[in-house]
Amino acid sequence: MAGLSLRGVYKKYPGGVTAVSDFNLEIKDKEFIILVGPSGCGKSTTLRMVAGLEEITDGEIYIGDRLVNDVAPKDRDIAMVFQNYALYPHMTVFDNMAFGLKLRKTPKDEIRRRVEEAARILDISHLLERKPKALSGGQRQRVALGRAIVREPKVFLLDEPLSNLDAKLRAQMRTEISKLHQRLGTTFIYVTHDQTEAMTMGTRIVVMKDGFIQQVDTPQKLYELPCNLFVAGFIGSPQMNFIEAKLLREGDTFFVEFGSEDTKTRAGVKYKIRLPESKNKNDALVPYVDKEVIMGIRPEHVHDEANFLSSMPDGIVEANVEVTELMGAETYLYMNCEGQSINARVDPSSTAKPGDKIQITIDPSKIHIFDKETEVTICN
Amino acid sequence: MPNRLFQGIIQQMKETIDHLIGVVDTNNTIIACSELGRIGETVDLESPSSGLHPDCFVRNNCTYKAFGSEERADYYVFVEGNDPQIETYCSVLAVALSNIKFYYDEKYDRRNFIKNIILDNILPGDIYLKARELHFNSDVARTVILVRTVEPNDISVYDVLQNFFPDKTKDFLISINETDIALVKETKRNIEPQHLLQLAGSIVDTLSGEFYTHVVVGIGTTVSGLKDLARSFKEAQTALEVGKVFDTEKAIVSYDNLGIARLIYQLPTTLCETFLREIFKRGPIESLDQETLFTIQRFFENNLNVSETSRKLFVHRNTLVYRLEKIKKITGLDLREFDHAIVFKIALMVKKYLKANPVKY
Repeated sequence: MAGLSLRGVYKKYPGGVTAVSDFNLEIKDKEFIILVGPSGCGKSTTLRMVAGLEEITDGEIYIGDRLVNDVAPKDRDIAMVFQNYALYPHMTVFDNMAFGLKLRKTPKDEIRRRVEEAARILDISHLLERKPKALSGGQRQRVALGRAIVREPKVFLLDEPLSNLDAKLRAQMRTEISKLHQRLGTTFIYVTHDQTEAMTMGTRIVVMKDGFIQQVDTPQKLYELPCNLFVAGFIGSPQMNFIEAKLLREGDTFFVEFGSEDTKTRAGVKYKIRLPESKNKNDALVPYVDKEVIMGIRPEHVHDEANFLSSMPDGIVEANVEVTELMGAETYLYMNCEGQSINARVDPSSTAKPGDKIQITIDPSKIHIFDKETEVTICN
Repeated sequence: MPNRLFQGIIQQMKETIDHLIGVVDTNNTIIACSELGRIGETVDLESPSSGLHPDCFVRNNCTYKAFGSEERADYYVFVEGNDPQIETYCSVLAVALSNIKFYYDEKYDRRNFIKNIILDNILPGDIYLKARELHFNSDVARTVILVRTVEPNDISVYDVLQNFFPDKTKDFLISINETDIALVKETKRNIEPQHLLQLAGSIVDTLSGEFYTHVVVGIGTTVSGLKDLARSFKEAQTALEVGKVFDTEKAIVSYDNLGIARLIYQLPTTLCETFLREIFKRGPIESLDQETLFTIQRFFENNLNVSETSRKLFVHRNTLVYRLEKIKKITGLDLREFDHAIVFKIALMVKKYLKANPVKY
């Protein structure tokens, strides 16, 4: 078991493409770290650099206290599980798990001990004599994990291991992998592009974009306090609503104004939402007065219920319902408010239907404000 | 298949060994037996991890012994009973059957045949004669996938791949040299390119994940005639070579998807040099520093969008405009114009090609 340290790590390919830039991260022992981001953001490259499968252009990688920049992958004490795992079709589950150890000339007794222990952890002891074709998708995935466990590594590296599974199995395996992490008590680094996987599994999440770390934090903090527009939009499903607005000030009170009003015809409406005082911590809003900003609000903080409308009168706006999606436990409303799209996650008892013009209220305490130019968060 | 030969031996041995004897394949099916009626029966042979225990083992009052290739068991010989004498019979039979299999394989070595085809070591006219002799189905679709080990280590990639593709009647694994292994894979006639990419992906992932071995994979086109296998092999080789020059970060390169690199790779080097001289007559490409080249790369990646590129580069828009003006001053090319940008992009690729030291002509 060991922690990891990546210090100023860069990966530049000979063609000029920079896949990873100035990557700094301290991973504690037994942590479950998730690298998440859109495809091409450098998360897999980072994982491969930790594994030693990609040379680093600059920087230092430590596993425990050992600098591993020049250490061969096999000597780094890591195990990897990839998306495109394949089992050896003619071998039993036992042999599939033992094959790597056998090629490394591990003694037979030791192989048997490790395989049986891994099978016990994964709850597949009863499948050891079966061949891959007689296994279900989830069982195969567990065998693939077993091949990594038998190496008894200090660090597990998992690169989108669930991408090839269907939605139901993926949800089941998410729980299995989390349980596995608890049982093994080892450091896990997990790469995914799926923010649901990231939010449900990790102790900390690293959000990446274009080779740069955007934010590193716990799932809850990432969700509630995103550091920029990208993180705010990437984390959360349905994603946060972004509304082009203007920041106004009247005395000590700050407002966000959005909507469209034609100065000649007076068509359209402009809405002004009063921001709570807490939003102007350290005078963060002051430099943006009378400037264009982006207002962010999560769908669950947009309400159509009567009690919310009466308790939050400052945030009331009118919107045209375009689409409704009943999900069972909740309903998603896709609306248009003065040319801007707003999604709301409301109670399933909502009677709103496409074509309706309804009143909704935006919870002012949950509003996020972003700099329109730099996309950095002004206040959360 | 050597089943007939096995049956011949079993028939001869049956008089000497007064017990039920036979041969079971890896699907646990009896393929030869002293009691003819039992041929085709399936036996319960979930052996205690067959690969790890090549010695005799007992199942249902029969003693079994594995034989076949060195790496793994291809067959099991069995003799009814369970005592030291039976174990000896089993061992003797395994030696005899193993030897006959070896000679059979040598005579009817399909892998050698395929190797000769892809390396152009057989006359086109002989291909179909030999194919008929080997009962080789020449009409099925096949694709050549070339696996090149980038950093060899103590793991035999060949052994791993052999276990990955154990069906020796459909998939052929040929060691080309110390780093290259060609996999001739039987595929569906209209196989989707993404399936081949997925297959190649699982090879790359398994080798790197399980054995820490970095490989690159070139994929040729799917062909249906045996003689076209040589072409598919050459395409896989070309894909790897082109990938080495233009797609250095990719582990899998498909010949079907080389894009503009396919054209540039085939240009005479003299023509390339003339082209570069013409484009950069005001100042050579070398006069652009690393930072400028990086800026250009990002500008192209962001579809010539100044605002987006400046944001990605964390520089002010005016800084980027200044850099683009500087490039224009040095090279005479204004990258904000599509025509100039495409010329510059091709020039960069041509430069990359020349840097890779191609054969000069």
